[in-house]
Amino acid sequence: MKWTPSLIIFIQIHKPKMTSKKKTGFPQNIVAFLQKIEDGILIGLLLLMIFIAVLQIFLRNLFDSGILWGDPLVRTLVLWIGLIGAMIASRDNHHISIDVISRYLPNQIKKFTDFMMSIFTTGVCAVMAYYSFLFVMMEKDDGALAVAAIPAWVCESIIPVSFFIISIRYLIFSFTCFTKLFKRIGQ
Amino acid sequence: MIVLLIILLILFALLGAPLFSIIIAAAMTGFYYGDIDLSVMAIELFRIADTPILLALPLFTFAGYILAESNTSKRLVKLTQAFFGWMPGGLAIVAFIVCALFTAFTGASGVTIVAMGALLYPALKESGYKDKFSLGLVTTSGSLGLLLPPSLPLILYGVIAQQMGSSDEISIENLFIAGILPAILMIMLLSSWSIWANRKNRIPLISFSFKMAFSAVREAIWEIPLPFFVFIGIYSGFFAVSEAAAVTAMYVLIVEVFIYKEIKLSHLTGIIRESMVMVGGILLILGVSLGFTNFLIDAEVPMKLFNICQTFVASKLVFLILLNIFLLILGAMLDIFSAIIIMVPLMLPVALEYGVDPVHLGIIFLANMQIGYFTPPVGMNLFIAGYRFNKPIVDIYKATIPFMLVLLLAVLLITYLPWLSLFLIS
Repeated sequence: MKWTPSLIIFIQIHKPKMTSKKKTGFPQNIVAFLQKIEDGILIGLLLLMIFIAVLQIFLRNLFDSGILWGDPLVRTLVLWIGLIGAMIASRDNHHISIDVISRYLPNQIKKFTDFMMSIFTTGVCAVMAYYSFLFVMMEKDDGALAVAAIPAWVCESIIPVSFFIISIRYLIFSFTCFTKLFKRIGQ
Repeated sequence: MIVLLIILLILFALLGAPLFSIIIAAAMTGFYYGDIDLSVMAIELFRIADTPILLALPLFTFAGYILAESNTSKRLVKLTQAFFGWMPGGLAIVAFIVCALFTAFTGASGVTIVAMGALLYPALKESGYKDKFSLGLVTTSGSLGLLLPPSLPLILYGVIAQQMGSSDEISIENLFIAGILPAILMIMLLSSWSIWANRKNRIPLISFSFKMAFSAVREAIWEIPLPFFVFIGIYSGFFAVSEAAAVTAMYVLIVEVFIYKEIKLSHLTGIIRESMVMVGGILLILGVSLGFTNFLIDAEVPMKLFNICQTFVASKLVFLILLNIFLLILGAMLDIFSAIIIMVPLMLPVALEYGVDPVHLGIIFLANMQIGYFTPPVGMNLFIAGYRFNKPIVDIYKATIPFMLVLLLAVLLITYLPWLSLFLIS
């Protein structure tokens, strides 16, 4: 077994791995494709962020200048990278949580609490997505500019989008939990 | 009604609901009862994009992940062995130093035990140290170095403390300086104990070899400048912390991918994803906590907390003792990032009222958390070491306890001798 950091995070957060058996088929292909796009955006944004941050240092120290919108762009990228990272973390319920009790629960009860917790998270994220969507709409009406010619609401739009997707992922996760619960009882 | 909701949320948190969702729910409940529009949560979350120092978080994490995935650990051990290996207790001291440096760069996510432990554990046993001693040593060293720059928990503590709006003396630079002496104290105490513990177990000394030293330096020549970027760059004021992070990230990327060629481009995408998933998890909790913290301050919760404390705890000394006990338990239960994000906003104002220096509090906080990593029965590093070295968890407990007692002594010294942390700043 190779000990990669992903495995370490896995141990650190002690989450049950809920990735189901690898299926190939029409919907699975689409999901895999969308995940590739998500990964691609994340990687592109990080490399862009490193590049601009270093470029700014060079410009400042060597030419005593800099890109005016460089710093706000880099700061906005931190938010975007963080939230996209959080979206990817919810693919398999990889978020930081307290596991002092849940780790020792009997299997059957754990399945039930997992189901409850994922329903709870789905709801919380949906509410969060809704209210941040209202906020973004408000900002759109306001029409303020954030970075160069980019309006502020575009920079903020990642908040409702990411919470919407996290909510969807936990909804799917709760379905998975529910079917597991049901299967067990049926046996 | 509110009490019922709070109990319910605590129950949900203990049952393993993601912490970020608990914090959102708590903050929204508070805002709802305070008649505040819930959209305020998005405004608070957007403050992440308003905090320049946070740039350091993804960049240092990325650099650390790359270092952890390449052969840096091997080169670092060889280098330190060549220069410190000849001393009495040589390899044990080498182990403490390399683990501390490695953890400072990679964060104490357990990667030190996995990467460094794999090299050091067999090496220690081979050179004559007992199995139990070696096991305890590598497990303990997994979180050594949390107090050294550019460790992420230090940065995160600084960010939160600044958000609390206290005076601007809590700069990240000051925290970076404050951690140095306490970290050296820990390494020195652990090293002395290692020598004493092995006084009857004669470890053959190896002699210093110029040839070895030269070859080790040549191999690691590209990585040796790395700490200097961070230390000298920041301390001389040439770089801001976030700039040092950007340079480090770019440098590590070029060195490991294009010069050492130890990370293939295809592998790089996976590393970026995994490192940013970790950053995302932390930033999400941080972002939603900004809202929650604001609610707490509006509701004057820290002040009320202080008043409650004051009826039971009169002196600063008693407060510090209770703080140590509380933090040790907290560190064993909660991962370090959520512990900082959730507890510092509550604890810092109370500690300030008792006259504790905010920089000193940060060092105390992290020093305690560091022990929490291997406090039985639930410290995270105990499990990682158990998995990694394929040992029963009880063996790991027994092996680690002597080291834990030594570090507890260090924490007590750090707590009750504030000048250890503050001497270099003033």
